[in-house]
Amino acid sequence: MASRLVSLPVALMLALFGAEPGLAALRVVASLPDVADMARQIGGTRIEVTTIAEGGQDPHKVPVKPSFVTKLNRADALVVQGLGLEHAYLPALLEVARNSNILPGAPGYIDASLYIHPLEIPDSQSRTQGELHPLGNPHFNMDPTQGKLMARAIAEGLERVDPEGAETYRAGLASYEKLLDEKIVEWDKLAAPLRGLKAVSYHPDLIYLAQHYGIDLVGTIETKPGVPATPGHLEELVAQMKREKVTLVIREIAYELPLAQQVAEQTGARVATVSSLTGGLPGTSTYVEFVEANLRALVAAAAAGGAS
Amino acid sequence: MGPERSVSRAAALLALTALFSPGLGQAETPDNQISALKAELAATKGELSRTQSALEALERKVDALAAAPAAAAAPPEPRKLETARIAPVNADNPAISFVIDGQAATNTQGNDGAGFLLATGELFISAPIDPFLRGYASINGTTDESFNIEEAALVTTSLPYNLTVKGGRFMADFGRFPHWHDEALPFVDRPPSIENIIGGESIAEGVETSWLAPTDQFIQVTLGTYNSVGADRLFDSSEFGTMPGSQRSFSQLSYVVRPQTYFDLTDTMNLELGASWLTVPTNANRELYGVDVTFRHQPGTSSFYQGTVVGVEWLWNNEQFDNVVVGTDPTTGADIFGSGRFRRDGGYAYFESFFNRRFSLGARYDYAEEIFGPADRQRTASAFVTWQPSEFQRLRFQFDNIGTTGQDDQRFTLQWTAFIGSHSHGFAAR
Repeated sequence: MASRLVSLPVALMLALFGAEPGLAALRVVASLPDVADMARQIGGTRIEVTTIAEGGQDPHKVPVKPSFVTKLNRADALVVQGLGLEHAYLPALLEVARNSNILPGAPGYIDASLYIHPLEIPDSQSRTQGELHPLGNPHFNMDPTQGKLMARAIAEGLERVDPEGAETYRAGLASYEKLLDEKIVEWDKLAAPLRGLKAVSYHPDLIYLAQHYGIDLVGTIETKPGVPATPGHLEELVAQMKREKVTLVIREIAYELPLAQQVAEQTGARVATVSSLTGGLPGTSTYVEFVEANLRALVAAAAAGGAS
Repeated sequence: MGPERSVSRAAALLALTALFSPGLGQAETPDNQISALKAELAATKGELSRTQSALEALERKVDALAAAPAAAAAPPEPRKLETARIAPVNADNPAISFVIDGQAATNTQGNDGAGFLLATGELFISAPIDPFLRGYASINGTTDESFNIEEAALVTTSLPYNLTVKGGRFMADFGRFPHWHDEALPFVDRPPSIENIIGGESIAEGVETSWLAPTDQFIQVTLGTYNSVGADRLFDSSEFGTMPGSQRSFSQLSYVVRPQTYFDLTDTMNLELGASWLTVPTNANRELYGVDVTFRHQPGTSSFYQGTVVGVEWLWNNEQFDNVVVGTDPTTGADIFGSGRFRRDGGYAYFESFFNRRFSLGARYDYAEEIFGPADRQRTASAFVTWQPSEFQRLRFQFDNIGTTGQDDQRFTLQWTAFIGSHSHGFAAR
């Protein structure tokens, strides 16, 4: 009798929530829109991707919604950008998602930073230096040459989770890498005027992009990473920008425009609005559109600055 | 240099050595000298032949390398790691944080004056224990109480069927704010209604099982059994004989059921609903019901730091009290003690609006009944403003107008909170 009492609710639950034979696609949750788009480009219809954070959000401060918990609970794979970029929301969600297959180190945890050589690995991890990323600066996605390395790590991760789809993922990666190679040549020409340009950004998230295109970043509007600007810091920054003849203020869409405008007005520099994530700027639903929109915004502001 | 030239140089050296070697002149006969020289020459020829072969092999290798310049110039293979880059963790060291929550307050009535308060000094430690379990502890000291183990709990991490079991001392999953730590609240104090009915935080010793429905819709159900939940005014461990702990009959334990769900209304608006039921079948014969509703507006655009949270929570309590003052003797004026069932309700509604990354302000209205119900009530209207200089530091000012049966009291509180170490609010304090 007791076993019947137990088996009845179990049977009911299986009937309600059991396997759904029609849905064969691999359930992939992406922490951020860049890795979501890359996974889609590589996996095609073989995978079904849902994304946690939006492009216009500050990835350091994404709300932990219960609807993300259910997505993670049912995921076959989790794709992250990595290097601790998702530390503000992902650990809290994973702690309650009850899915050990997608925890860090498990096969279903796909880390797009695997092949990146990180920049700005902090020597000191004291909080006097602001909110640091101990593994290095995690904003490598803004440089398309790093994007190629991300795509490779994602394709290999998908193949690890779903070995039967190896051909799909390898072919998807090959065609995506070809597309990126062609675009990188185009973008190098487009961004040629940026070489040697002096700029400040709001948050220190442009270093990979600046390194590739030869932009000279001289400071940030934030006092320290993640620490809002103080009046004293802004005064010093403005003086430094005037001294070093900085002509460009790069404002990421997740941060306030008025402060960037104020700094630009005081120094005669131009403001370029970029996004640190795919989808942050209008018309950038893919990673390729995102890189191009950022470069066009920078080149346009640089040209306007030169004209003035 | 070609091998042929090397060989001819070696042969010339050998001839010179033969001519000027002092040993050669000391041979006994010419025949003997000739055969000795022939043997030496044969050995030298063999040595030269081996050297020549080795030089030729080396030359082939050099030619092969020179013929493949592209391969030699290929970039090094990127460093390949296992599957993920994870921050290094020392298995012997758990995550540790310490919260410092200090307050200064003044009020206009009653004990008017000013005072300083250590609202919380809380050490929080957590770590995985093995692949199946994690543990955490919260050790708390305040001005009013000495150090106290607020929580010391074990939580399973890999049970099947989306089940999680928690055991030990922890904050029972009743309502919304009853199980939040003081420093995580959006106010300087816990709402008075929660203080009155739960007795502060919902601290409990017991075991709790929660189940997450494997559906796209967030549905979570918690079932718990505890000695008591929150401040337990009726039971004392000494009442229950000599057994260790606070043993009591099954019908004297507290049982909690809490279902909760969540809806994304739009991309930027969501609604969270919860209901709680606590019962103690005998003795206090307590029935406590609670509902909580939380609405959030969280724009996902460049105004991301802006937004609003609206929260409402209401509790209905029905409980047997023994040995309480139930009236006054009309002739002597002495208190009359007795027992009886008392109903008291209470709750709060609040909103908090975020204006940018640093500032938020909000207001709260709270209605709290004491043991005798509406006859003994407190209405508190509050306004609060919060400033966060960084992620790990917060200053908050709160004004409360406290209306009881007598004259209203006004209280002004300044709170300064900071977090040392690996502080994370986690999912529960979302």
